[in-house]
Amino acid sequence: MPKKSNPFIFIALLTISLSLILSLASTQLKTLQNTNIEVDKKRNVLKCLGLDVSLLSPENIISEYKTRISEIIIDVNGNYIESVNFSELTFRENMITGESIYTFQGENYLPIFKSSLPEAIIIPISGKGLWSTLFGYFALDTDFNTVKGITFYQHKETAGLGGEVDKKWFQNNFVGKKIKDNEGNLVSVKVVKGKSGNNIHGVDGISGATITSRGVSYFLLRDLKKYAPYFNKQMDRIH
Amino acid sequence: MSTKKNSVFSDPLISNNPITRQVLGICSALAVTVKVDVAMVMALALILVLTLSNIIISTLRKKIPSTIRIIVQLMVIASLVVLADELLRAFLFDISKQLSVFVGLIITNCIVMGRAEAFAMQNPPKYSLLDGLGNGIGYGMILIIVSVIREVLGSGSIMNISIFPASMYVENGGWYVNNGLMLLAPGAFIVLGLLIWIQRTVTNYIEE
Repeated sequence: MPKKSNPFIFIALLTISLSLILSLASTQLKTLQNTNIEVDKKRNVLKCLGLDVSLLSPENIISEYKTRISEIIIDVNGNYIESVNFSELTFRENMITGESIYTFQGENYLPIFKSSLPEAIIIPISGKGLWSTLFGYFALDTDFNTVKGITFYQHKETAGLGGEVDKKWFQNNFVGKKIKDNEGNLVSVKVVKGKSGNNIHGVDGISGATITSRGVSYFLLRDLKKYAPYFNKQMDRIH
Repeated sequence: MSTKKNSVFSDPLISNNPITRQVLGICSALAVTVKVDVAMVMALALILVLTLSNIIISTLRKKIPSTIRIIVQLMVIASLVVLADELLRAFLFDISKQLSVFVGLIITNCIVMGRAEAFAMQNPPKYSLLDGLGNGIGYGMILIIVSVIREVLGSGSIMNISIFPASMYVENGGWYVNNGLMLLAPGAFIVLGLLIWIQRTVTNYIEE
């Protein structure tokens, strides 16, 4: 029977060698993973418009995105900003609220994805659910009132419960709902308990996912409010 | 190959299958068997983790201080799972998103730790390799059988390729509707239950 090693030395050596292997793998695979994440975001922008993206290859997604989507930037008052480039924005997540913050030289800006086919505007949405921050996109028709679609591309909610937010049945429910009431006030779309029925400002809830649902309702309204000045300016222009 | 080697590999395939006989690894077997491609990737990830963890634990088995052996096993398994997860996110991003937490949950899959503690700690690497492969393939086989049944009945496809003519479906004037139950966890429970019943009838195994 060979002598067993000293537990402290053994565990120290094992820890060091395993962490070496893992950090090596992580750094080597980082670029590939980041490309995948970028393509996945573009895929979700397209999916949000109601397009079927399930069979598109990464190359197709990039080319479809290029032909349909233009990336624009507005300031917090809803004015177009041309002096800042989309790729120059720095992204930061507010760790408490899960809010996405985009800055350039200390100033806050808001990105918008403008689609030409079908015509729509898409805004990024994000916020806290139960366990994690959910990141997604929200598409509005040109009347800035009718919902065209919603997607979530990143979250760590419980699979089968809160995780249902990235399922078709939940997302399809948003399509055609209105974010403004009859007086033109922004009321957003809320995830209700049970069936939403004819409620044009509500979608069917997810049983077992009250906190995730509440989170989605909350941050959807909050993020839409940030874009409200832009929506109003665009509407004034039409009338 | 000697008979011992043979049985180490072949026992877990049918007669001592980790899922249908030992009823281990049920969580992932229920969760990731909606589509065949996802189940296949999950099976491959588990075979990889299980085989490598068995080899590593078995190689180190005489050096591992028995007071901390469970911690050591968990560290090895957890590192391999993180590695598998990183690889999936780099090369099979879509599938890794569909697998979501279940790749990470291989760490807690009883099959992996069970084999490390029950087999790799007592046997040399070459047997442990076979044991890992056998158990991994035994697990993967069941996963794929369940997922084929679920995808055919639930989505009318295999590997995302439709197998029924479109005109058969009600929305196109036909008579057929996919069985939605098969897409949900209860569908997997039923299929798995039937498989366990068949396996136990064939092998004449009765629970004590």
